[in-house]
Amino acid sequence: MCQRGFVIAKRRGRRARAALAVLLLCVLSCSRPVAPAAPPGTVVIALESAPTVLDPRFTTDANSSLVSELVSDGLTTNDARGETVPALAEWRHPSPLEWQFSLRPNVRFHDRTPLTAADVVATYRSTLDPALGSPKREALAAIAAVEAPDPKTIVFRLREVSASFLESTSLGILPARLTATGPVAPAAVVGTGPFRVAEPLAGGGIDLVPWAEAHDGAPRLARVRFRVVPDGIVRALELANGGVHLVQNALDPDLLPWLAARPGLELLVSPGTTFQYLGMNLRDPRLADRRVRAGIAAGIDREAIVHHLLRDTATPATGLLPPSHWAYTDEVARHPYDPARAAALLREAGLGPDADAALRRFSYKTSTVELRRRIAEVFQHDLEALGLGLDIRSYEWATFYEDIKRGNFDLYALAWVGVRDPDIYFRMFHSTMRPPAGVNRGGYADPAMDDLVAAAHATEDRAERRRLYAEVQRRAAEDLPIVPLWWAENVVVKHRALTGFAPAPDGSLRSLAGARFAEPADQAPPGPRTSGAD
Amino acid sequence: MLRLALRRLALAVPTMLAAATFVFLLIHLVPGDPVDVMLGESAARADREALRRTLGLDRPIAAQYAAFLSGLARGDLGRSLVHGTPVARLLADRVPATAELTFAALAVAVALALPLGLAAAARPGTWIDRGSVGVALLGVSVPSFWLGPMLVILFAIDLGWLPVSGRGTWAHLVLPAATLGFGMAAILTRMTRASVLECLAEEYVRTARAKGVSRAGILARHALRNALAPVVTILGLQFGALLAGTVITETIFAWPGLGRLLIDAINQRDYPVVQGCILAIAAGFVAANALADVANGWLDPRIGAAAARARP
Amino acid sequence: MRPPVAALRLRLGATIVAGLLVVAAAAAWIAPYDPTTQVLAENLAPPTAAHLLGQDKLGRDILARIVYGTRVSLAVGVVTVLVSLGIGAAIGALAGFAGGWVDEIVMRAIDVLLAFPGLLLAIALTGILGPSLRNVVIALCLIGWTGYARLARSEVVRLREREFVEAARALGVPERRILVRHVAPLLATPMLVQATFGMAAAIVAEASLSFLGLGAQPPTPSWGAMLNDGRAFVLVAPHLTVFPGLAIFVTVLGLTFLGDGLRDRLDVRRPTEL
Repeated sequence: MCQRGFVIAKRRGRRARAALAVLLLCVLSCSRPVAPAAPPGTVVIALESAPTVLDPRFTTDANSSLVSELVSDGLTTNDARGETVPALAEWRHPSPLEWQFSLRPNVRFHDRTPLTAADVVATYRSTLDPALGSPKREALAAIAAVEAPDPKTIVFRLREVSASFLESTSLGILPARLTATGPVAPAAVVGTGPFRVAEPLAGGGIDLVPWAEAHDGAPRLARVRFRVVPDGIVRALELANGGVHLVQNALDPDLLPWLAARPGLELLVSPGTTFQYLGMNLRDPRLADRRVRAGIAAGIDREAIVHHLLRDTATPATGLLPPSHWAYTDEVARHPYDPARAAALLREAGLGPDADAALRRFSYKTSTVELRRRIAEVFQHDLEALGLGLDIRSYEWATFYEDIKRGNFDLYALAWVGVRDPDIYFRMFHSTMRPPAGVNRGGYADPAMDDLVAAAHATEDRAERRRLYAEVQRRAAEDLPIVPLWWAENVVVKHRALTGFAPAPDGSLRSLAGARFAEPADQAPPGPRTSGAD
Repeated sequence: MLRLALRRLALAVPTMLAAATFVFLLIHLVPGDPVDVMLGESAARADREALRRTLGLDRPIAAQYAAFLSGLARGDLGRSLVHGTPVARLLADRVPATAELTFAALAVAVALALPLGLAAAARPGTWIDRGSVGVALLGVSVPSFWLGPMLVILFAIDLGWLPVSGRGTWAHLVLPAATLGFGMAAILTRMTRASVLECLAEEYVRTARAKGVSRAGILARHALRNALAPVVTILGLQFGALLAGTVITETIFAWPGLGRLLIDAINQRDYPVVQGCILAIAAGFVAANALADVANGWLDPRIGAAAARARP
Repeated sequence: MRPPVAALRLRLGATIVAGLLVVAAAAAWIAPYDPTTQVLAENLAPPTAAHLLGQDKLGRDILARIVYGTRVSLAVGVVTVLVSLGIGAAIGALAGFAGGWVDEIVMRAIDVLLAFPGLLLAIALTGILGPSLRNVVIALCLIGWTGYARLARSEVVRLREREFVEAARALGVPERRILVRHVAPLLATPMLVQATFGMAAAIVAEASLSFLGLGAQPPTPSWGAMLNDGRAFVLVAPHLTVFPGLAIFVTVLGLTFLGDGLRDRLDVRRPTEL
């Protein structure tokens, strides 16, 4: 290996040094920091996966909606109790099939152009255009026509009475010039919201800055940075270290006590509207059998998961609507953990231990989030005891969600976040609402349910709706098109220096618009010693 | 010198071509229908057909291959199925981050390994030598995905000296680079030690010793220089492992580089991006090896001639 | 290296590896519990007399999982090495013995494969084929054989010119017979040394892939997957990661010692160290 003579070595020495110098130069030139360092006063929020789209006509997943609603305003929004309230416009409801909205004066888009009724009309018309392929089209299907009689007024004419129409007007408004195609790239999205898009970050994150002319006053935060931190433990460590200032519903429950004990951090647990459920593919003949679904429901120990894995940051659920909801009823069938009953049900349905092994295997899809995978392992273990095999397939969020939307699954677990309008039942359970029309992802078809959700869909009378939705909840709990798992609480860990932030039941971050961030004085890498300032 | 560089470059071209062919074949190696693998069995027919068209899978394989190569020649790697953006642009966004990380890791490895290997060779059999072997063993057997979080807990949480993750300032670079470079440092330490020991046993060293040159002088002036060639070769070869290691390091440290892109693309079944990432990493590796060979030729023309033919 | 140290290492390495083999073979008798049985109420329990290494997040016995994990790790290591070695030795020896254009083509093909870092290819392949232990082994073999092929080739080229081969050829022994009867046995030693390092590399690679979610699927206990699962609790329950980490460390250490020791003992020339 080393066969050179003395003299050669001497001559080559200088060149070797030169080579090393070149290498070093290379290292130096490549290592210049490229990503913009967060300016002082930046609030950094860690997300587990990237917001995929900010065009409000296309946001369906939680993280996209989270960011999108800071950038774009709708005609209406909802308050902390989940009631619809005016945002960009006040409404009148002159007749059952007509809604009129009057825009607030002096609202400007982030590109300084004034908001006009034409922008609203263009946003709604493009969303309704099948060519755009908006996932929100179906929710607006009741609209027969949308017009702008003058620059401040928008008139919606409906095909039929729709109780949920008002809530669907929270759709974010884009300037008309952006509505022709879609989805608009995140960096190009322009809204009227309190924050505007500064720049997308490498790795899927995004920076927002306050919109100086926001109609409710400019936010006082210097900048809000959404950073994608895929690893759960790293999210917790970043919080502890001061690299991240807020994490919502993306922390391992076991780490909460540790985090809460750190100086400068606080834990906020508040009621949430997140409903976790076990979805099933009812097109599969095995799962089309109610006994199999009931067997699975009674075969999994939800209480144990809630207590031991979620550390009681959730409550076992009886159905989609949480107890605080106006249409909630608790007079429904429950399916407590009962392995013996579960085994009996499965045996009745022909999936007993002596059934063909292939028949007793199901695939179960979940996201790659560690907690979800762990829950999947408990399901696997519980069902194994009943002789059912579960092949756990964990996918990155976007892929997983695509599969679910396509109906490509046997079993899966997913959550509904921020459910306010019980009309979601129509889109979830009506037999005509299979994707892409609605969100009946399991392909449920039950005439009794069809009648109930259709009737509730077509009335505006609250008492009648309450009665019908109670029936819907009873039927759903009985027939189990999905297995309710639990309602998750809203868990936020944030730095005390961030004040004025109030967690919303639906997980919205809109209160950031009124938040303040008193930056710790010492800006050196804020370790535990410096991050305690509050 | 220039001739060697050119010849090495000329050799890199067919290697890259073959690598590209291999990447192209990856999708056809999948048993069954690649579209099924990407979309899942129960996907809608229309989705299937659309994806098949997007990937060009509806055309004969020779035509696909020709299109792939001609695209490659123009720097066109197709479009991401998920983002819709050209793959080349996605790669261009991520390459600087990965380059920064790998070069920093390389620097960490060299800075650790050379003095340690030299010290071990200078005093074989002593505690320094044993210690260096111990460090080397640790480096080989401690997986980076365990080391990374440990370093974070120690340096970012307990001591509060460094940030936890992400890319930004110099301080952000330290922990990922150390995590990634440690394994390579282990291999380099052993290599340096062995190589220097071998040189010390050479005739000319003994001659120099006889002439009264001090041991330290020999080490610094002659042995290290001569020992550098095999170390540089290993550097080139290990660069590939370093690049592959970025996949794990970037996942741990939320580092927005190629490795993270690759894992995301795999998870999203974004096939054109997977292809692009592998090609980019393979290209980096081929380039590093070519560079190592040229550097060796620089250090010693006789090695250069041999290295241009085949790596040891 | 001074002989006593080398001998000690060889003995230590051999003992560790033998111990691992015993553990893997007798997993069912050694493991105190079933590795997949969950006791949620005892999640994250620290080591106790009943559970010597504690319990993981799902209340599974960590010792039992490590014991069964030995099986997974060794199986991946052994199968990968056997397949790679078999293919590599055959191809390499043929190339070296045939020489000429066959040799040239094989070596160029190997150069191309070596343009892919092994782990990267494994990630890509398991990503495309789907995550499973079988696919991990396939992916590792696809690259793994090249190292053995190179080694076999260089050894054969060296041996080809030796007198005994020349003599056999002069006596009219067919080429294939020379290769099988006279050259192959001499290949065994360097290959064995290489194989121990190869096993260590395969075990770490499996752990890395499991870490990325591309290796063993639940509930299969694999050290890499255990480390990955336990990482989330590194702040509150370090025993979840310490023990599987140690298992990987000790295994790799044992294999490296064994390889180093064998090399010194058998005086094997190696083209590159480690």
